[in-house]
This record gives sequence, structure tokens and C-alpha cells, in this order.
Amino acid sequence: MSVDPDLAHPAGRPRYPGYNVLDQARHWDDVTKGVVLGRLGPPPPIRFFSPDEEAIVRPLVDRLLGMDEEPRVPVVEMLDAQLTERIGPGYRHDDMPDDWDAWKKSLKALDDESRHVYAAGFADLTPGQQRDILQKVQDTDGDWRGLPAAKLWTLWMRSVCQHFYAHPWAWNEIGFGGPAYPRGYKDHTLKSSREPWEVAEVDAFDPEPWAQRVEKAKRRQQ
Amino acid sequence: MNRVRRRNESAWLIPKGDERTNHRLRADMRRFEDADEVDVAVVGCGAGGGVLTQRLARAGWKVVAFDAGPFWDPDADWVSDEAGSHHLYWTEPRVIGGDDPVPLGNNNSGRGVGGSMVHFAGYAPRFHPSDFRTYSTDGVGFDWPICYDDLEPYYRQMEEELPVAGQRWPWGKPHSYPHSPHPLGVDGELFLLGCQRLGIDARVGPVAITNGRFGNRPHCIYRGFCLQGCKVNAKASPLITHVPDALAHGAEIRPNSFVSRVAIGEDGRAAGVVYWKDGKERFQRARAVAVAGYSIETPRLLLNSACERFPDGLCNDHDLVGRFVMVQGAAQTAGRFEHEVRMYKTPPPGVSTEAFYETDETRGAKRGFSIQTVAPLPIAWAEHVASEGHWGHVLREYMKDYIHWASLGVLCEFLPLAHNRVVLADETDRHGLPVAKFLYSQCDNDKALMKAGTQAMKEILAAAEADDTVTINRYAHLVGGCRMSADERSGVVDHTLRTFAVPNLYITDGSVLPTQGAANPALTIMALAARAADHLIATGGRS
Repeated sequence: MSVDPDLAHPAGRPRYPGYNVLDQARHWDDVTKGVVLGRLGPPPPIRFFSPDEEAIVRPLVDRLLGMDEEPRVPVVEMLDAQLTERIGPGYRHDDMPDDWDAWKKSLKALDDESRHVYAAGFADLTPGQQRDILQKVQDTDGDWRGLPAAKLWTLWMRSVCQHFYAHPWAWNEIGFGGPAYPRGYKDHTLKSSREPWEVAEVDAFDPEPWAQRVEKAKRRQQ
Repeated sequence: MNRVRRRNESAWLIPKGDERTNHRLRADMRRFEDADEVDVAVVGCGAGGGVLTQRLARAGWKVVAFDAGPFWDPDADWVSDEAGSHHLYWTEPRVIGGDDPVPLGNNNSGRGVGGSMVHFAGYAPRFHPSDFRTYSTDGVGFDWPICYDDLEPYYRQMEEELPVAGQRWPWGKPHSYPHSPHPLGVDGELFLLGCQRLGIDARVGPVAITNGRFGNRPHCIYRGFCLQGCKVNAKASPLITHVPDALAHGAEIRPNSFVSRVAIGEDGRAAGVVYWKDGKERFQRARAVAVAGYSIETPRLLLNSACERFPDGLCNDHDLVGRFVMVQGAAQTAGRFEHEVRMYKTPPPGVSTEAFYETDETRGAKRGFSIQTVAPLPIAWAEHVASEGHWGHVLREYMKDYIHWASLGVLCEFLPLAHNRVVLADETDRHGLPVAKFLYSQCDNDKALMKAGTQAMKEILAAAEADDTVTINRYAHLVGGCRMSADERSGVVDHTLRTFAVPNLYITDGSVLPTQGAANPALTIMALAARAADHLIATGGRS
């Protein structure tokens, strides 16, 4: 077993040090403020996932989003609330169950796969083992344990990204300016692309070559 | 009073100052009883239904426009936030299938007064003259029963009423726009630069966003949340461009009212609509009915309105209802630049080129494509990054690089095909009505165009000195499903949008389009509705 390539990831380094989009909240309209700041309050209790499912979905979400440590964006809680309320995307693939059933089915499938490969539940695997299982799902053509693999992967990624990148902490991480009503933006040209309150980045780098190395290494280990 | 205001006073009926909704106008709205026989019941208050309602109300007709969703107030109901805007989309159950299933919801389906234009980007191009006769000139698609010249005056009217901002337009039939082009974001500047270096003509616009004051509508503030509903009232949707004038002329907008069936009387004419409101099933009498529920719900409503005379669905004697539904191939390619871009600023719609719009045999395909700036916000951008297969720490690193990327979108003219259709699914909604199932599969011509379009975007980005690109394959827009034609054996409605089968039933939305061009459809849908209204007014709806 070679070194876990993800250990070398630079994700821990902030790219926009000191930037806090919430400093601008006083300039947002009240309705937007209510919606965005609501995401910072205590998340609702888990209602959709059973305890067994919760134990699987937490590491799943952490691996898909590369969330290794606290404080975490409460993606699992946000996802649980959405599934509890049956808020769907407005369509269902004819060869897939509804999102809520697909989530439950996929968690059971992950656990079955994990017991088959490692003789242990998904929740009890190391992060590296969990990633290996997920890599296999992503690389599967066609069916994976009764679900179309590509559509399942899209459902997972769409769901977790939708909640993670709705959170102001994630906006700080990527340097996004956030809500802009009623103030708007005024610095939007090549000559001047940054509002006075936006922060310049440090250690900018093109992710492409690094991403290629990591992703190739992950697949080589399979 | 200026010419536009004499035709449509909406922009002057919006309050001055910081409030975005004329609450007085809504409180004073005329309200009809179910038992009143109104002149027209309009089903759906988006691009088609909104314009039709305004035109007919102004001509003195008694009109009720139903919408399944809310009567939005931009101040109270909309936010400057991606995830918080999910309620703008039609998220009732629907099923998708075929070889190339098309996601619905936030991609192409609106709800509430204003329809999908509430969350459309704002591009408002015209179709080209060639779009109206693709079968004659290219041997693909279908010939419309009207030509460009029939629609041109209505294009001009709508461009004035939205209003549309842009440079002089050199493509199709050249024309100019009432408002001057908007200042650009960095992504727009880079698009122009790339095109200029390759000798490709590209222009700023055409976008339905005020540039300068228009009536009481303010100037755009370049905040970039056009797809989340414009809180500024700068971007056009029928909610602000046509509904206020309709109210002032005695129309009723009946929100949160889901029409489940068009009722046909013993005389074979439409007698009114059955609808659900507040949990009760009700019936509105009407002298005529105009369906404007867009390409999924309009066919579904007709199919769900089967009756003794029409056992296979209303107006479906020739198995044409729900067929020839089209989406545009809308891959998006983003390029990475060394310097900051911050594409979230300024409206996503900025610059377009229609230089690839017409057939070019060297592409190995008929018809063509347009390229436009698109500028996804973080959640949409994460979908781009994830679609390239990135996840975990790699995804996070890509996302941290967000401010370096500029994104372009292509709109490929996919062809109308009979097997791309809406049918009824086995499952039902909460009213017990079968939901729509939308089957979609591309043909070889579609695939070749998508490939050529993606390649062109990569070349433009490379010419602007992008060092990397990512591409997501996706679709945009919906049209067709009840196409217009010269005769009832090849279409559902005639050139006045009247159904061949029921003399007082009209379809006034995007589902009547026989082909889709490589242009965003909103302006054409509005122009067709305005033209249909003129025919109705001229004939008094007599048949």
C-alpha cells in the first residue's frame, strides 16, 4: 500500500486569509439575511436517516467533500432536512427511485459493498478505505448494486455540493462575494476586479496538474 | 406619452422608490366568479400567457389568468442566494427517460406569475429568417406556417416593452435594440478578446435588462443574481413587463390555482377549465381557453383532458400532442485565467456570438449554434467541477480557484424528433393526476453540433489565453410539444395558435414552436403570443 495521495492535499491552507463574507451581512436585504444567516444557527435534529444510516452518511459526505475536521458545514443535517421535507429537484429518472429512496438504498448498498470487501461496515473503515470504495462506484459503468452508478454518483454530488456551497464558510473558502442586494457590485472589470472589501488570494495555483496527479494515484491503488 | 407606454404601461405602474410591487394595484384587482363566463381563461402566466393576458385585457376582454404558483413579490419572496431560490422552480413530480434524459426543475421549469422568465438569464435574441423554413433549405426540421416577416413587428414591440439592451445586431435580419449595451464583467471582456483574436464577430447583448431608467424600473446594479429572480426589477419577466398593465385594464390573475382539465362541451367547444385552489376542485366558465403551461405541462394538461370526443387526449386525434419536444444542447466550457475573473459579478448574460448559427457543411451537421457568457454561481459551478469527475479534496481545491474561471455556454439547435415526447406516467401527483414523463434521445446531427460547439468554445477561451478548460454537458430551454403547422395532420395549432380540433381553444406558449433555432426562446414566445392576441382581437375570437 503506497502513501495515501490525499494526505498531501493543500485544502487546509486558506486561500483568502481573513476574508469573512459575513462582515458584509449588514449590507444585505432583510429577506436574504434571514435565509443565509439561518444556515449558521443550530441545525434541526436528524429525522430522515436512521442511526445506522446516519453512521454511514456522515463519513460518505465527509469523503465526497473532503471534510476532515471540525468545524464542519452541517451538510448531513441540511440534507436530512431536505429529504424529510421531500423537497425534490423536479424530476426523477425512470430507472431511479425518488431521491429520498435512492439515498436510503445507496447507503445500504455502500454498507453491503464494504462488508463484502473489508468484512466491516462502511462506518468502521479508514477514510482511505472509504475513498477506495467510492472510487469504485465512480468508476463503475452501468449498474452498481441495483442502482445506475453514474446517476447515483450525480445524485450524491449534486446533493452534497448544493448544501456545502450554500454555506458562508464555503464562500469564505472560495472568495465568493455573496449576496449583493441592494448594494450590487461596482468593481467588475479586468482593470479592477475586486471590491474594496474583497480579499486578495495567497498561494494561487492552477488545480489541474495537481488534481491529475492525485486522481491518477487514487485509481492506481485500486 | 411615449409610444411604448401607450401600448403597455407596466413599467410606469411599478412604484417609484424602493418598493418593487404595486400592492394597491393588486388589492384593487378585478375578481371574477366561477359562474361568470369570462372571455378567455388563460392557463399559465409566463412568457406566453402573460403577454396574451395583457393584450386582451387592454382590448377590453374579460380575462382570468391562472397560475399554479404564487403571485410573487420580489421584495418579500426572492433572495440574493442560490440555495434559497429553489421555490422559483417547478418541483412537482415528473419522470425523465430516453437515451439522453433531460433534467427539469431549476434548469428549465418555472412556477408562479412570470413563469420561467423569473429565473431565466435574460438573453432575448430573435430567431433568424432561416429558422422558419429549415426543412425547405436544409432538409431537416420543419417549415413554420409563418415566416420571419410575420413575426418581425412583434419582435420589435417586445424588445421595446421588455426592454432589450444590446449592440446593433448583425446576424439574421440585422436590427438594433432600444437600450444601449451594458458594461461587461471580466468574463464578457475575455469572450470578446478571444473572439477578436480569432476573427469571430461577437456582440454585447441582447439582454432583457434595463440600461437606464425605464418607466419606474431602475437601472441594473450588476449583482449577478439574475437566475435567482431580479429583486431590482431591472431584468424583465411578465410579472413586471405585462401583468401590471393587465391588472390596470381589468384582468384577474388567479395565483396558486392549478388547472387540471380543459372541459369540452357537447358542442365540441371548450366550456371552461377545472382547477384546484385551496384544496377544492372548481370550474371557471369561459368563452375561450388559452393554454400556456410550457412544453411539459401543456401537453400533460391536454392528455389529462381526454374525454368522449377525444379519448386519446384533447386535440390528439393525430397523435401529435406531446411530440417534437426540443431542448438545446447547452454544454458549458469554462477557462482558467491567471488573473482574477470573479464571474459572479454582473449579469450572467453579457456577450453573444451568432456567427455559427447557420448551416456550415464542414461541421458535418445541419443548422448551428450560438455561444454566450453564462457565469455560474458557486453551487452551479460545483456541479461543473463535479461533472468532470472531481470530488473530495480535489473538488475543494478546484472550488477555491473559482475566481479565476470564466464560463461560456453554447446553444445548439437540436432537431425536432417525433420520439422526443411528453407522455403520461403511471404515477400521480397529489391531486391524483398522472404526472408527465419526458423522453429524450439525441440524433447524430445533435451530437455533431454539440461537439463542434464545445470545440469552438475551447478555441475562443484558448485565444483569450485560458490555460485549462472544464466542460459540462447539459441542456437548456424547452420548446415544442404542440407545434404549429399548416394543417392538422402535421401540427396541433394553426398560425394564429388556435387548435385545429377545438375552435375556441388556443395554445400560446413555447410548445407551439416547430423548430428552436440556436436562440433563447423567450422573446419568440412573447412575440407569438402578441401576434395571436392581435388575431383574436381582430376577429373577436369568432370561429
